[in-house]
Amino acid sequence: MSKAVIEVKGLHKIYEGAVPVKAVNGIDLVISEGEFTALKGPSGCGKTTLLNLLGGLDQPNSGSIIIDDTDITGLSDNELIDFRLHHIGFVFQAYNLIPVLSATENVSFIMLLQNRSKDERMERAHQLLEAVGLAGKEDKRPGELSGGQQQRVAVARALASKPKFVLADEPTANLDSESTSKLLEIMLQLNKQENMTFIFATHDNRVIAKAKRVVGISDGRIVSDTSK
Amino acid sequence: MLKLAWRNIWRNKGRSIITIAAVIFCVIFAVILRSFQVGVWENMIHEIVGNNFGYLQVHQEGFWGEQSLDCSIDLLSTDVNPLESVEGVDRLIPRLESFSLLYHGSNTKGALVMGINPATELPGLQLHDVLLEGRSFSYNDSIIVISEGLAQYFKVELGDTLLFMGQGFHGAAAYGAFPIGGIARMTNPELNKQLVLMPLKQAQYMYNCENRATTLVVAIEDGADYTVLSEVLKKATFEALEILEWKELFPEIIQTIEVDMAGGRIFVMILYFIISFVLLGTVITMVAERQREFGILVSIGMRRSTLALVTMLENIILIMGGAILGMAVVKPIQFYFKYNPIDLSGQMKEAIEQYNFEPKLYTTTAFIINLNHGIIIFCIGVLVSLYAVWNIMKLNPIESVRS
Repeated sequence: MSKAVIEVKGLHKIYEGAVPVKAVNGIDLVISEGEFTALKGPSGCGKTTLLNLLGGLDQPNSGSIIIDDTDITGLSDNELIDFRLHHIGFVFQAYNLIPVLSATENVSFIMLLQNRSKDERMERAHQLLEAVGLAGKEDKRPGELSGGQQQRVAVARALASKPKFVLADEPTANLDSESTSKLLEIMLQLNKQENMTFIFATHDNRVIAKAKRVVGISDGRIVSDTSK
Repeated sequence: MLKLAWRNIWRNKGRSIITIAAVIFCVIFAVILRSFQVGVWENMIHEIVGNNFGYLQVHQEGFWGEQSLDCSIDLLSTDVNPLESVEGVDRLIPRLESFSLLYHGSNTKGALVMGINPATELPGLQLHDVLLEGRSFSYNDSIIVISEGLAQYFKVELGDTLLFMGQGFHGAAAYGAFPIGGIARMTNPELNKQLVLMPLKQAQYMYNCENRATTLVVAIEDGADYTVLSEVLKKATFEALEILEWKELFPEIIQTIEVDMAGGRIFVMILYFIISFVLLGTVITMVAERQREFGILVSIGMRRSTLALVTMLENIILIMGGAILGMAVVKPIQFYFKYNPIDLSGQMKEAIEQYNFEPKLYTTTAFIINLNHGIIIFCIGVLVSLYAVWNIMKLNPIESVRS
């Protein structure tokens, strides 16, 4: 049996307001190493909130999130930032690359934050860009790449730090069919080759179709959990 | 980090150019404003003090307070060699200064009478540069040179005689009649209204002060610092004499300078206030433009302090660049107006003359002014940039990524 990468227990997140919203309402979830999991559900069901909580970008009202034997809900802001740097890769919906840096620099930037040597940074950046099919585009800046290419750079960046898992929030929302299928192929390949754990928040059926495990969420609760 | 900061500077050229231009403009404006203020004063001090009164004067103790010939220096019994031999002292120039009532026809007017020897005097009293008509006098002459204002008041010409009536040494009556040998325009407007210059020997005779002087002006060698010299002279002098610096002799000039400088400071403060808002505007724009990016960077693992450092670095490069450029660009302007002063006219001229100053606007080329304002504006820029730091330290990465 694969080792658990994430263990979520009794997670609650309530957004206070005139009418409090229970975005995450008592979720228990275990994600194992090498999983390719999609969190599916309609808009507002709580999947992005769950992803943010898993990524340590948001704090729950109660419950625990144990990653690599560390309960991240008890970490300070700086500890969380360092934890994300070394354990978690992010792929955002809108690519969100640093516009003034080239593809190589965007990928190697996270390794720079990890204080890795220049040689190591360059080697891994080239290796990852090649893996996502962007060999020859290393010196291009985000503005010179298509949306699909930018998202592939974002995937390479997410993997650059050698994280425990990658969180991807609607990674295909801005991509056309061809770019989507290419991106999914690349991520599946990386999942297979590097045994990298991917967790998507999506309502894109193309992603859900490729996922090995699909967790259905509705009103902040897990309503289905199927593995292929 | 430096590379990232440098590239960020050029991602929005317009904003960067506005920031640099605002800093350059502010430095130039502030430096010009202060340069003119300080330059005018420097020139005034040089003209009035350096060329006429001397930066240092030696008096018999008590003379400056009482302004009495009874407190004059006996040149025969006073050994001034120890003072003259101090390094940096070129020579000591004896003067006999007093007041006298002048008569010509039915007109009378009080005047400052200065007995001098033009051959050994400071440049302002060597006369050849300031004579409008007539000639200067030598040691043994018996003519006088009067200021243009007095000539106009008495409506006198060369060859006319002025009568003097005053009080001499130990209460003796001081009478005299001297023909006008020259009419001079003094650079100091106040002196130009009331000065009579006569040969030192004649003044000593008229005031019953043979071999006496009220003042020994210290002529300083080029490059010597009068403040340093003052200290040395004070140590070299003896009890009966006192060394006075021009600031002690003319405190009203210092007061006027301080009042004027305070006014200038208000203008500069307003300028700083404006530039603060311009720079704050560019920083707020930058923060708004890059809110999402900040959120991403914090999300992927960049510490807020590191991100704040990069952002500060960007602003520091921009502001420092602007400040250095401003300091450099303004330098030729300072030099130009130092040697090509602006001539004032009309009411402004009259207003300045009321303060006994030459109505010309000079600049100073002292780099300390550039440096001071460059540093102040740089500090303002850094302070304003703290807005970006504050924003980064409190940003919510989720909200920023969504923005």
